[in-house]
Amino acid sequence: MSNIDLSKRQLALSHKLLMSIDKPARYTGGEPNSVYKTKSDIRLRFCMCFPDIYEIGMSHLGISILYGMMNTYEDVWCERVFSPWTDLDKVLRDNDIPLFALESQDPVRDFDFLGITLQYEMCYTNILQILDLSGIPLRSLEREYDRPLGEYPVVIGGGPCIYNAEPIADFFDIFYIGEGETRYRELFDLYLECKEKGLTRGEFLHKAALIPGMYVPSLYEVSYNDDNTVRAYRPVYDDVPESVRKEVVTELDDVFYQTKPVVPFIRATQDRIVLEVMRGCIRGCRFCQAGQIYKPIRYRSVDKLIEYAEELIKNTGYEEMSLASLSTSDYPDLKELLERLIDLCNRKKINISLPSLRIDAFSLDVMSKVQDVRKTSLTFAPEAGSQRMRNVINKGLTYENIADGASKAFMGGWNKVKFYFMLGLPFETEEDIKAIPQLGNDIAALYYETVPKEKRMGRVQITMSTSFFIPKPFTAFQWAPMNNMQQFIDKAELTKHTMLEQLNKKSLSYHWHEAGTSIVEGVLARGDRRISEAIVYAYKNGCLFDAWSEEYKHHIWMEAFEKYGPGLDYYIFRERDKDEVFPWDVIDCGVSKSYLYREWENARAGKVTANCRDKCAGCGAFVFDCGICPGVGK
Amino acid sequence: MSETIRIKFTRTGPVSYIGHLDLLRYFQKIIAKSGIDIKYSQGFNPHQLVSFAYPLGVSMETLGDYMDMEVESFESTDSIVESLNSVMNEGITVVSASVVPEGEPTAMASVFMADYDVFTDGIFDENEISDYLARKEIFILKESKKGQTESDIRPGIKELKSFDGGLFMRLSSGSSLNVKPASVIETLNSFTGKNVSIDLIRRLEIYKGDENGIKPLGEY
Repeated sequence: MSNIDLSKRQLALSHKLLMSIDKPARYTGGEPNSVYKTKSDIRLRFCMCFPDIYEIGMSHLGISILYGMMNTYEDVWCERVFSPWTDLDKVLRDNDIPLFALESQDPVRDFDFLGITLQYEMCYTNILQILDLSGIPLRSLEREYDRPLGEYPVVIGGGPCIYNAEPIADFFDIFYIGEGETRYRELFDLYLECKEKGLTRGEFLHKAALIPGMYVPSLYEVSYNDDNTVRAYRPVYDDVPESVRKEVVTELDDVFYQTKPVVPFIRATQDRIVLEVMRGCIRGCRFCQAGQIYKPIRYRSVDKLIEYAEELIKNTGYEEMSLASLSTSDYPDLKELLERLIDLCNRKKINISLPSLRIDAFSLDVMSKVQDVRKTSLTFAPEAGSQRMRNVINKGLTYENIADGASKAFMGGWNKVKFYFMLGLPFETEEDIKAIPQLGNDIAALYYETVPKEKRMGRVQITMSTSFFIPKPFTAFQWAPMNNMQQFIDKAELTKHTMLEQLNKKSLSYHWHEAGTSIVEGVLARGDRRISEAIVYAYKNGCLFDAWSEEYKHHIWMEAFEKYGPGLDYYIFRERDKDEVFPWDVIDCGVSKSYLYREWENARAGKVTANCRDKCAGCGAFVFDCGICPGVGK
Repeated sequence: MSETIRIKFTRTGPVSYIGHLDLLRYFQKIIAKSGIDIKYSQGFNPHQLVSFAYPLGVSMETLGDYMDMEVESFESTDSIVESLNSVMNEGITVVSASVVPEGEPTAMASVFMADYDVFTDGIFDENEISDYLARKEIFILKESKKGQTESDIRPGIKELKSFDGGLFMRLSSGSSLNVKPASVIETLNSFTGKNVSIDLIRRLEIYKGDENGIKPLGEY
């Protein structure tokens, strides 16, 4: 492995082509800790893809972990590929060069597996670009099911979007449901065995569907009712399960963690050490998909985390470290963890950044130790302006919590505050919207009450941002109608208008996200197999990098949804019936539909549900028998 | 008491496609990994005190570039070379290190001349080169904030020789007159009517000194 001379590595692109595109180092590989193996020692080649540009893909912890884990297998070589930016896209097409992996620079088409992580819906056209540029037929059924395995790579998807991957189900051979650490070795062994025996692709996929966590969409027949709703998903073979339960790592301390991550030469979005402290979340926010699909909450021990931190510092040379989790404040031994980490990082001259900490006396004290108060701003995510609305969404945060945190911070020298809200939440009234800038105004007033004139460093700056709420599968709001463009724009205007009426308006500023992409994201999030052709249409008509606002082409998407599938009214603007069969019912994420429906009713009633630590809500994740569940009892 | 160490390094192969700032960030990580007792700036976000002599353009290889670094303490210059190379990546190697004497200007401020091998897809013959060098003035257009300005690069072309596959150049560098290899090829093309393009530029050495004599940056 180490005796391969990388400086003599042949690149897939000539010098002239590399010099004709922006940031050629996105495509040349060879970064510190990237893994090189001798092809003759390898039995299975896996190409890991994040379908966005290099800088974004390289910031993702999940594929970094799987890359490291797969490369611990002696007979497997896992490499990487990312979406070529539009300049390289053109170069590849004009010169008939197939898309290639970064390490070996070999065509993706020659690999055994192409693994694509699905982190957001707006990357779906990028998936088609990857397949297209690789020379892999777009649809699974076009990939020669009757021929011996190995003709085309097995295209496998993972990540949060697979909890409803129906809109892109036709493009994938397998979806891996749940956490990647548990079943890849088993899948690889099956693949190698089938290949050795000369079995067909179809036979392999049938066998793969019997491995827990493997959802093979082509093995399910979907029927629809006259009103367009799903009638049923039926497996085409008797031995294929009717629904696929997600895979869960029961003991985080016992699984592989990536302590030798690839360190990009060019600046990635996350240019730092990332320490994953836990998975899952105890808070049942009703809009939040991550909170449900990663249940139950599981922690890494402080000792393990410190051990990983030391190795990561040694192996990467990074100057900054960040903690990853859905809500770091809920980590039970946070105080001990931070004390030991701060001590370690001070010795090694590493900066710690602490996102997703709840603002209280403890976190402010920690932050003032590790960050420059003058430069940083405090972040609150109340998501809704009024207490009534915060109860509807089950966000366990009160005005008193915010005011208490803010006033302590103001006394500690902070004078910048950021607020994140959503517009278009279910059961929202005009009063709830107006409460957003009013909350900003109250916090600004609090600054002037708390901090005496002589101690003020200029005016307090309160920034409020709103995004438009998109109902997601496996949340209490999966039954909810979504707002249309005009409603979104009216609500943003009302927020802005109300802000301008506030006494402290000079201390307030307001931004909102574009509404068009929210509509498309909404359709893709709760869509079904009938819109896969709409995605192909959008791609063929120039949609690519839809998550990049300068590339996003709204009218083409609208055309696509008009041509294919039952349309926007069906997918996003109607309230769903209690007993409606959803396309994502074929997936079992542990959390039951009856629990989610109870939560939908509680939202309607404005009733708050306790978090997992205080009282079990009977969500169903108990079946995994790990993390917080056994201790709390049902 | 801190000391300034000047290292000389090479860069060849695919890693040449990273830009100057990214190479600096790479070296900062390598230094952190190497365990060298580097000196940090003061303040909330301390950074290593390191600086390159001369930016390396994207795709440019080098056999002799330099970087200055401040260290709090060190065992020997050999141990610095060894510890850096033990964590170094493909294509980048530290070839030597030296202690910069007190009063010596920084590497960046010292740059005076540099040698290059410029590999091209076509050739210029002896006559073309001697005609070119016989010119008293060779003007290029420079883009600046004020618009385009003309600049005479002829005084900065100290040597120009062809070899099999390209041209050797010794060019003035640094703040007073800085000539880029691409400017030489560009003007050669325009005088000869050829359309030779560059496949690879490899810097060979960087010199300090003045009109009376030059020395590599790592010699004092």
